[in-house]
Amino acid sequence: MFGSITPSELEAVRLSLKVAAVSTLASLPIGFALAWLLARKQFPGKTLLDAIVHLPLVLPPVVIGYLLLVLFGRRGPLGQWLEETFGLVLAFRWTGAALACALMGLPLLVRAIRQSLEAIDRRLESAAATLGAGRLWVLASITIPLSLPGIFTGMLLSFARSLGEFGATITFVSNIPGETQTLPLAIYTYTQVPGGDAQAMRLCVLAVLLSLAALMVSEVLVRRANRRILGDAR
Amino acid sequence: MRVEIDVEKGLGDFRLKAAFSCDAAVTALFGRSGCGKSTVLNLVAGLLKPERGRIAVGDRVLFDSTMGTDIAPEKRRIGYVFQDGLLLPHLSVRQNLTFGRFFTPQAERWADFDRIVALLDLAPLLERRPHHLSGGEKQRVAIGRALLASPRLLLMDEPLASLDAGRRGEILYYIERLRDEVGVPILYVSHEIEEVVRLAGHLVLLSEGGVAATGSVNALMSRMELKPVIGRYEGGAVIEALVVEQDLEMGLARLSFPGGELQVPDLNALRGERLRVRVRARDVSLALSRPADASFLNVLSGTVTAIGAGDGASVDVQLDIGGTPLLARITRKSVAGLGIAPGKPVFALIKAVAVDRHSVGYA
Amino acid sequence: MRRRASALLLLLLLIAQTACAQAPVVFAAASLKNALDEVAASAPAKIVISYGASSALAKQIENGAPAQVFISADLDWMDYLDERKLLRPGTRRNILGNKLVLIAPSGSTVAAEIRAGFPLAHLLGNGRLATADPAHVPAGKYTKAALEKLGVWDPVAGKLAPAENVRAALLLVARGEAPLGTVYATDAAAEPKVRVVAAFPDGLHAPIVYPVALLTGAPGAGAAADFVALLSSAPARKVFEKHGFTPLN
Repeated sequence: MFGSITPSELEAVRLSLKVAAVSTLASLPIGFALAWLLARKQFPGKTLLDAIVHLPLVLPPVVIGYLLLVLFGRRGPLGQWLEETFGLVLAFRWTGAALACALMGLPLLVRAIRQSLEAIDRRLESAAATLGAGRLWVLASITIPLSLPGIFTGMLLSFARSLGEFGATITFVSNIPGETQTLPLAIYTYTQVPGGDAQAMRLCVLAVLLSLAALMVSEVLVRRANRRILGDAR
Repeated sequence: MRVEIDVEKGLGDFRLKAAFSCDAAVTALFGRSGCGKSTVLNLVAGLLKPERGRIAVGDRVLFDSTMGTDIAPEKRRIGYVFQDGLLLPHLSVRQNLTFGRFFTPQAERWADFDRIVALLDLAPLLERRPHHLSGGEKQRVAIGRALLASPRLLLMDEPLASLDAGRRGEILYYIERLRDEVGVPILYVSHEIEEVVRLAGHLVLLSEGGVAATGSVNALMSRMELKPVIGRYEGGAVIEALVVEQDLEMGLARLSFPGGELQVPDLNALRGERLRVRVRARDVSLALSRPADASFLNVLSGTVTAIGAGDGASVDVQLDIGGTPLLARITRKSVAGLGIAPGKPVFALIKAVAVDRHSVGYA
Repeated sequence: MRRRASALLLLLLLIAQTACAQAPVVFAAASLKNALDEVAASAPAKIVISYGASSALAKQIENGAPAQVFISADLDWMDYLDERKLLRPGTRRNILGNKLVLIAPSGSTVAAEIRAGFPLAHLLGNGRLATADPAHVPAGKYTKAALEKLGVWDPVAGKLAPAENVRAALLLVARGEAPLGTVYATDAAAEPKVRVVAAFPDGLHAPIVYPVALLTGAPGAGAAADFVALLSSAPARKVFEKHGFTPLN
């Protein structure tokens, strides 16, 4: 019905998967750290930090894209520092698209992890301490395993958000086929070109299939993690 | 090993100020709910920080506010058995048990896995998960887990509180075994007098955030002025006695102690075993002469040493039975009617049935 | 009493809403922003203008966007709507012309002459040429046509930064993220942070013509039609000229 998939479409799918995977994995440590801070610690400015983390949820994506351009572009202070120190260039590269996706997905990641951290019985961590486990060991052997359901859920949300990211990406790194033209950007381009409807529709179907697959994988992982912690097939 | 505790801590409205030291195999912290017992344990374990004070276990100072010493809980080598076990839900029983061993320095590992598993009958549970365990099983695993971390001191916070009556006896038995066979000093918190009487050698009475009294279990239990702390219906004496004979036909055991003999029904004890028998004051009646034609099997001859202040219609009478203190609770009317006064020779009458198996423990 | 008050409030809201809905919506190419805003400010009736890439706007109109006037940055997209019978017959007119220019950040000292075979790829270095998406945005299509004619498209095709619309391309150059870019002369004039390196000579691409038309659904007479007429008026032409457009007819 839709014809067969073209190489450029395949390219967009591959790029989207790469960008979404990298952005999810890269934002995981920071997301966990922020969630842990917000769940466990009290400090001046905590409400402000919470609000900042949630900004990408409430600000228009184009605004986020613009801010990324200002900070992480080749002329931006952070962009220059990254290039000088690590040789990492974000402007007009898939790495920039990954950063945009990571930022947009961060509030979802942090929220999910924070919820599951708050659900952990803190006394279990005290018990582990009396058994000789230092802080880092408690984190590795108790906190992280028990918050896995939240971590997996957060990762799914971040991944799905990345698959659908448009505004911040196109504003920050523009629409370069093969480099920054992720699925949403490709679909958009095809909808703008007369006669591109069939391609746009094909990509839409692919996008839906990818999201469903991600959802199912996440379900399985969350269920397994819950079973390990709670002991039943919940 | 000597344990020295001197701590002060404010938590909201509540203020804890407790100082005591002990050397026994089991030291019990006893008191009503809310008197600060669990707080003391948390301070000793390092989970809470005292405002000032000193905590020392053996020759190791764990906390000293004047010297600025404050050893982190994971380095204190103090085992803790919590009221609800707190088993790690994502690990198997075996993994829970061996959790602490990983963090114990090689040189200090004295706990032997097989021995502790045998002691607590944990073998059939090893591959199970915590949520498939009953309350009693969870507590046994919790005890085993704390022991397998080779602690120098074991803290137990009301470990029987979340168990039903049937289970309590079972776990109490295991704790007695642990006390007698493992040799780690235990600091045991409870508000149930039975547990304390059965297990403890040394008793610390806490009341409203402070130490009301400290001493051996025998000594404290029969002190009348501690009744408000110990509990209105619980006051009595603890007698250490030796099993002399078992009458299997009648199901009675004969126990001997310095002041005489006691007959106790349905006692599973062997000849020659040393036991602790708790005799509640309200189960002791007084008579001026040895009764004939009465069902009392236990008739002990002694002297009145003191009469308590009185509480409504009843009053506590302290007795000396051949050197062993005993407490009797009778009405003021009877005291007046019989002319009970310090120095008067009397007979203490105790129903054999009143001394039930919950009142008897191993010394 | 309360029921009457809330009914009155509802009625007022409805009136207010319909009153607002009377303001005609104009869809206009992004490059017209500064000039058109100024013209609309002097219009007697209230006008609501929505700016974007002509391609995006045309597609939205095709899908039922409630616009009454469309000003495109090229003829193709107006033709697109014409073919689909979405224009009000007889209302289509060409009103403005523009030029395509090559720009650089204001601090840059690059110099170039736009002629056949000029070293554009070399001038870019390892940077990219910021341009509106050549796949569908008019400014990008003009750029591609011109560069193809000059024979410099192939080496540059892989070094583009295709932006969503011409203003986004302008932003990239203004921020110094792209060393060179192609925008309309009017855009370059409006942005102090860029300077014009060279203008694309005539004949390299189809003439840049801005057509305007009333869309079907717009009343033949009324605020929308008045606005379209206003665009050709003398004061409006002066404004357009000031911003760098070439008024036609």
